[in-house]
Amino acid sequence: MDQRKYNIYFHTHTISGIVIAALLYVIFFAGSFSFFKDDIAAWQKGKSLSNVDAPVDFNYVLDSLGTKYNLQGRNFDFYLLRQGHGTYVNMSVSQDTTISKPEPKTEKSKGRKRRGEKNEDSAYFLHSFVDKTQSSYDEGYDMGEFLYRLHFLAPLNQIPIRLGTPFGYLLAGIVSFLFLFALITGLFLHWDKIKNNFFLFRPWSKWKTVWTDMHTVLGVIGFPFQLIFAITGVVLIVNYVLISPFSKFIYNGDQDKLYQELQYNRTMAPTYSYKPLAKKLDVNAFVNQWMNEWPESDISRLYIRNFGDKSMEIALETKPKPSANFAGSGYISMKAIDGKPTSVKSPKTDATYVDWVKSLVYHLHFGDFGGRTLRIVYFVLGLLGCVVIISGIMIWLVAREKPNIPAYKRKFNFWAANLFISMSLGMLPVTAFTFIVIKLSATVNQSFIYSLYFYSWLVMIIYLLILRDLTKVNKHTLILSTILCLAVPIVNGIATNLWIWNTFQAKSYDILFIDMLFITMSILSAFAFFKVKKQAKSFKILK
Amino acid sequence: MPANKKYLTKSPWIRLCRILLGTLGGYTVMISFHVLLTALFPPENVIATAFFTGYLLWAFLLFWAFLEPKLWRLALTYIGLTLLFSLPYIINH
Repeated sequence: MDQRKYNIYFHTHTISGIVIAALLYVIFFAGSFSFFKDDIAAWQKGKSLSNVDAPVDFNYVLDSLGTKYNLQGRNFDFYLLRQGHGTYVNMSVSQDTTISKPEPKTEKSKGRKRRGEKNEDSAYFLHSFVDKTQSSYDEGYDMGEFLYRLHFLAPLNQIPIRLGTPFGYLLAGIVSFLFLFALITGLFLHWDKIKNNFFLFRPWSKWKTVWTDMHTVLGVIGFPFQLIFAITGVVLIVNYVLISPFSKFIYNGDQDKLYQELQYNRTMAPTYSYKPLAKKLDVNAFVNQWMNEWPESDISRLYIRNFGDKSMEIALETKPKPSANFAGSGYISMKAIDGKPTSVKSPKTDATYVDWVKSLVYHLHFGDFGGRTLRIVYFVLGLLGCVVIISGIMIWLVAREKPNIPAYKRKFNFWAANLFISMSLGMLPVTAFTFIVIKLSATVNQSFIYSLYFYSWLVMIIYLLILRDLTKVNKHTLILSTILCLAVPIVNGIATNLWIWNTFQAKSYDILFIDMLFITMSILSAFAFFKVKKQAKSFKILK
Repeated sequence: MPANKKYLTKSPWIRLCRILLGTLGGYTVMISFHVLLTALFPPENVIATAFFTGYLLWAFLLFWAFLEPKLWRLALTYIGLTLLFSLPYIINH
């Protein structure tokens, strides 16, 4: 073994790992829960989607909007939720300048519109096909959405550092890329021992050995999974870093053309004619006609341009069901005046290479191609990633706990590790606590979840920090997790009468699943707590 | 056991140089390599492939910045490879 190289592998792996450890833990933890985003939403609202059939009804949305607004000349975008039980609706101001009041151009309105921000004459809201209710983005916000957005650090976008992209997303991208770097250096570092140490686990040895074994064994087993997430994670959050130079060099700065060729957006910009369309277009009929044509696919988006004008256009985007076709995308656009399609791409037969790559990125990251079983496997692998991170922090700490290292450095190391561990281990009890409080609260919206989660997390971190003892931090979070996770299904039962036996009988499997998930985590935490209490060799740092 | 310091770059300035060279140089080599590929394959396919190969290649090139003992050779290689890969593009434009 080349000593120089080995030590460089070692050092680059250590530094890149410890720098991203805490944030990467947040990403992995929240991301693992996001696999059950829809189940969490159903759990929180107490409305199961497992056994309800909700036919898409765009006409209803348009008609009900028509009672409040003059729809003439407006654009509509419908972004359907993954299970197709609802849709986000974005309604623009009218293209018809006799209807739309010209807005004074302010500096702010030039930039990209923030989510949920609207002026008076346009609208952005969530429509549920199940009970035909409408809610604003803020009202429709739930724990599933929160954990999902936390996992790419969206809450940090509030920090006003603008480097071409919201700060949280940029940070998540950098963490993801450094994670890729740490994976590569880790693989090189461990390369010679991969085969010999593949099953090596010595739980009765001293702590440092236990952590090292945990880190390397689980790191190797989880490597393919984590590599996929590092790469697809960068792609999904900061891909413009890669794409922009190409648009400059290959497409002469025409970014729109590049994004069209990659099928991220399609231009639909018919010129407004100021001549009303004689016959009203039946949107549902159009959608149903094409969904009958492509039975093995789901609607992902619907676009309407220049509503009620002779130039009106409508377009439908679909995705094949993963069981039918792994890759592909369907697209149909039509002029309303003659009802003839202007562009058709079948999700069944017309899959391009770009479709393949994008489907690969998307399916591999979201784990949506094998039902709930696969999502559970993904969830477990994600939590194993958390274990690798925690054990990495511990190795980092104890490797530096030596008499020859100056006291001020050891102090700093201890507090850094203490902070990282408290932040990380505090997440499970805080998440369970938020689930509980949400069930007991009357109105739950975005700001409520934000303050609830982040303040309780802060209190938790401070409490764990002042324990100044990592063994205690572990024990306290384990016992808190045991109690709070167990309380989740109980509070759900008391508050809504959706006890697990009731949800089982009603076939509300999504709600049942979340309760079972927390019960499982409670049992595991209790098991771990008693093991730690009975067997743990205590260790002391800085004492 | 932290890594043995005698094998690591001692000066923080040289270390910073390595990180910057690896990040920027790795990036330009990676982009120019894929731009070169667009001369052979349809550009949108190359860009889609780069979703995977681009970031991997970049990470490896950054990794290499720490392994190469000579700083000047590191800088020259990045510049040389970038220029070499960009040649067809420079000639065409």
